[in-house]
Amino acid sequence: MKNRLFMTVLIALLIGPVQAQDLLIPMDDSQSDHLKAYGVTFWSLNRSIDVDWLLNYRGGSFLISRTPEVENELRVRGVRYEVLNGSQTAAVISEVESDASNTSVVRLEKPPKIAVYAPDQTLPWDDAVLLALTYAEVPYDMIYDDQVLAGDLEDYDWLHLHHEDFTGQYGKFFNYRSAPWYIEQQRQAEISARKHGYRKVSDFKREVVQVIREYVGGGGFLFAMCSGTDTFDIALAAQGTDIVPMEYDGDPIDPDALASLDFSETFAFTDFRPSFNSREYEHSNIDSGPPPPQLRNPAVDYFTLFEFSAKYDQVPTMLTQNHVPTVKGFIGQTTNFIKTLIKPGVVILAEAPGRGEVRYLHGTFGEGTFTFYGGHDPEDYQHFVGDPATDLNLHKHSPGYRLILNNILFPAAKKKKQKT
Amino acid sequence: MLYIRPFAFLIALSLSVSLSTVSSAQSVDSTQVGRFQLAESFMRSGQFQRAISLLEDLYQDSPNTHVFYERLREAYESVKRYDDAILLIDRKIQQDASPVVYITDKARLLFLKGDEAGSKATWQLAIDSNVTSSSVYLMVYRSLMQVRLFDFAIEVLEQGRDNLGNASLFQTDLAQLYNLTSQHGKAVSQYLELLKINQNQLNYVRSQMSPFLTSDEALDKSISVAEEGVATVPLNRAFRELLAWLYVEDGQFRSALDVYRAIDRLEREEGRLLFTFAQIAADGAAYDVALEAFDEVLRRYPDGSSAPDALRGLGLMQEMWAETLGEQVFDIAGNRLERNHYDEALDTYQRFLIDHPQHPHFPDVLRRIGVLHQDIFFDYTAASTVLTEVITRYPQTMTANQAAYDLGRMAITENRLGDARIQFSRLLTRLRTGELADLARYELALLHFYKGEFEATDGFTRAMQENTSTDVANDAIAMKVMLIENRGPDSLDVPLRKFARTSLLIRQRKWETALHQLEDLEAEIGLHALSDDVLFSKAGLQARTGAIDAAIQSYLELPLVHEGSFLSARSLFEAGSLQETHLGDTDTAIRTFERILTEYPGSLMVKETRAEIRRLRGDEV
Repeated sequence: MKNRLFMTVLIALLIGPVQAQDLLIPMDDSQSDHLKAYGVTFWSLNRSIDVDWLLNYRGGSFLISRTPEVENELRVRGVRYEVLNGSQTAAVISEVESDASNTSVVRLEKPPKIAVYAPDQTLPWDDAVLLALTYAEVPYDMIYDDQVLAGDLEDYDWLHLHHEDFTGQYGKFFNYRSAPWYIEQQRQAEISARKHGYRKVSDFKREVVQVIREYVGGGGFLFAMCSGTDTFDIALAAQGTDIVPMEYDGDPIDPDALASLDFSETFAFTDFRPSFNSREYEHSNIDSGPPPPQLRNPAVDYFTLFEFSAKYDQVPTMLTQNHVPTVKGFIGQTTNFIKTLIKPGVVILAEAPGRGEVRYLHGTFGEGTFTFYGGHDPEDYQHFVGDPATDLNLHKHSPGYRLILNNILFPAAKKKKQKT
Repeated sequence: MLYIRPFAFLIALSLSVSLSTVSSAQSVDSTQVGRFQLAESFMRSGQFQRAISLLEDLYQDSPNTHVFYERLREAYESVKRYDDAILLIDRKIQQDASPVVYITDKARLLFLKGDEAGSKATWQLAIDSNVTSSSVYLMVYRSLMQVRLFDFAIEVLEQGRDNLGNASLFQTDLAQLYNLTSQHGKAVSQYLELLKINQNQLNYVRSQMSPFLTSDEALDKSISVAEEGVATVPLNRAFRELLAWLYVEDGQFRSALDVYRAIDRLEREEGRLLFTFAQIAADGAAYDVALEAFDEVLRRYPDGSSAPDALRGLGLMQEMWAETLGEQVFDIAGNRLERNHYDEALDTYQRFLIDHPQHPHFPDVLRRIGVLHQDIFFDYTAASTVLTEVITRYPQTMTANQAAYDLGRMAITENRLGDARIQFSRLLTRLRTGELADLARYELALLHFYKGEFEATDGFTRAMQENTSTDVANDAIAMKVMLIENRGPDSLDVPLRKFARTSLLIRQRKWETALHQLEDLEAEIGLHALSDDVLFSKAGLQARTGAIDAAIQSYLELPLVHEGSFLSARSLFEAGSLQETHLGDTDTAIRTFERILTEYPGSLMVKETRAEIRRLRGDEV
């Protein structure tokens, strides 16, 4: 009798943990679609299903409770997963939380509300973040200057900027000034500026960056790519002066423009010099420009991701999750940031080795954070005006695009108390 | 800012001296030239303050030297010393008898300084100084364009028109301004006025309008005004052509056709314009409109130069349309369905033969008739007659080779396998390479297959799969795999031979006979390697003969009985498709498709399956 009771209890104990199951979405080379994996994670969060992000474990894998809906969605989206029973999950968690390994668990709880800052107008270049969000099926709203100045940013947790020009120089596409899209872009910007009481677009854009700055200071998350990075800081530094050549705003630059720059206002960069040449396709010396000719080749150009302590530096660790330690390079209007012009206190996440150039950085401002990522399109080495958009169906494992998508998940992370 | 070279400077300097309005001209000595050159170099290097010091002295010494004034004003502007620049201009205004250009410059500087009200008042002052001079309005307009005050520029030019009593002034400038300010309707009005005066400006007008027609709103407004223009001046050809062009830009091909029709009639184009438009409509996939345009040409100008091409084009459009709509001539039971676009295409081609017996397109049209008879109407006698005529009358042409290929195919359908072999062999000998040769080679492989000559089949497939860039390479590889997997276990390959014969029956459209044979074969061979192919073919035939439920059943049975078969996933896919299209049961179809993802996650069908599930779920991907 006693034996029978003992066996029953033993069996019940064994069945219990074995039946509890989780789904592990590996993010190493075994994954069939890395980019859609982020989308399914986001989809789960939208349905109040918590997800554990296993930092540095098999490329930054995700662990979700197994439900028929999640499993079906993973299959339908073509994302590879593994079913773990209770004891297997426990083993994984134990391994990840072990002090001996540079891994940790971050609980993702609430999906961030995402705003993408972009004009309505169709412009003749692709936007890597829009492409990533669309491919991964992560929902977002499009906003622009009117909404920013109307205070709509407060409704969002995360703001993305891509190929924008906050200096009011229309991207410095002087050679395209007769193109219909340029004429339309300029016209719309002028109408917006006038509507808000500004004679010049550059003055109008300065107000926009101030509002975004306040948004970040108040706790917002900002991600910027390509020219959205340096022009943001240039516009902040030039609040009290005119750095725009007359070809763009009708009047010359201020004679003491350089001396009037205020670097205390900027997020990431300092002591830089804007470009006053209207025909130069650079906004400042923050950008290193394309690599030297011998490296200007997608086969040899790359940048290296830094490794951080997953247990103590969770934010940079989240931002650099990837299945490869080096990522192939890609050029943009702003490609890499000159290291000597980066403010101390800004965390460097990736750099082009041996060149003093930083590709990817992160910092805090007030209650919020910002992340800047150089280059235009991680899967198009040099994207020109008029080129077709990248088809991410052909780049499901893109490490460069993973860095973008890391940024949309990290605001969902539950803030964990540091170990003391 | 202009930086002129020394030589050019000297010319400018001497010109400015000679053009000076002050009666007592002051001479410019060499020291002044030297100092001016130095000032120029300071300007070029951005040392504006140093340049200003020199230029102020020069101007003080020689206030009537225009170039000193000009450079000094530019220098002040470069450092945003607008007040100083304005003072300088004010002095010029007082001195000059005709100071309009200075007044407009002052207005511009006031605007840059931020005094918008003052600037507008000053521009108005410039106009008021001579309201009857068109060049004054143009000067003010150019000044306003420099600071991109387009709305005010429009007001100025419109004011000019009123004051001068000439509504045809400043047409192109106003049109450009209206486009820049999104007043596209008004822009078109101006262009119509221009075309009223000179119809030859149509290309210019189109080139000016094109960059601004990027939105639906721009097109709608432009079209609306152009329509009014045509209604008001119906005999202006340029108006109509502009309207037609706008309709095409907006995808309104039918409306464009009406316009071209009218032009054709009014201008006695004899169908040339309509024929060109028909081709544009075809390129724009507006087949029904293209068809109508071709028809129009034929009705009105049966003897015109465009008639033969139009007739052939009409036939092609009708065929294309039938194909797009998936039209059939017979139902499943073999009953003739009502007349459709294929019938019309056939009639059109036959009319071509009668009307244009010597035309270069004659052989091609003749062959198309043959192919229609063969593949659409299944009238093999008529097809044979026609195709043979092509070969006889036009030997050693590509059309004849294509006709020979079609005859070979028909021979297979009529069970004249020997004739088919001869046709394809001769074709292969003549051509040796090219797409048609590859197709002939594949047909020969199939002939061997149907006759159970599997070694020969294998030989042909090996040769074809060497060049994987050809279309038939895939088919050859599939055939090869079929042989590898399904020959044996007996030395005579009996099951595969029977299956091959059934394949021939299917090709010959003997559905019922083929189905019975497959059912017999299925019963005979049990779990032979071929059994999944047999079941899959059977399911296909059941679907073709209208037994949908049975077909779905067979497709669903295959993965149950033949779990490891590569046809399992495809069977489930076919079953899901039938459940959706024929039974209208979306939920069941989704569940069937989902089985592919769970049971056959490595299948080649997975990508298509996911797309189908997303589509049926209504996901916006």
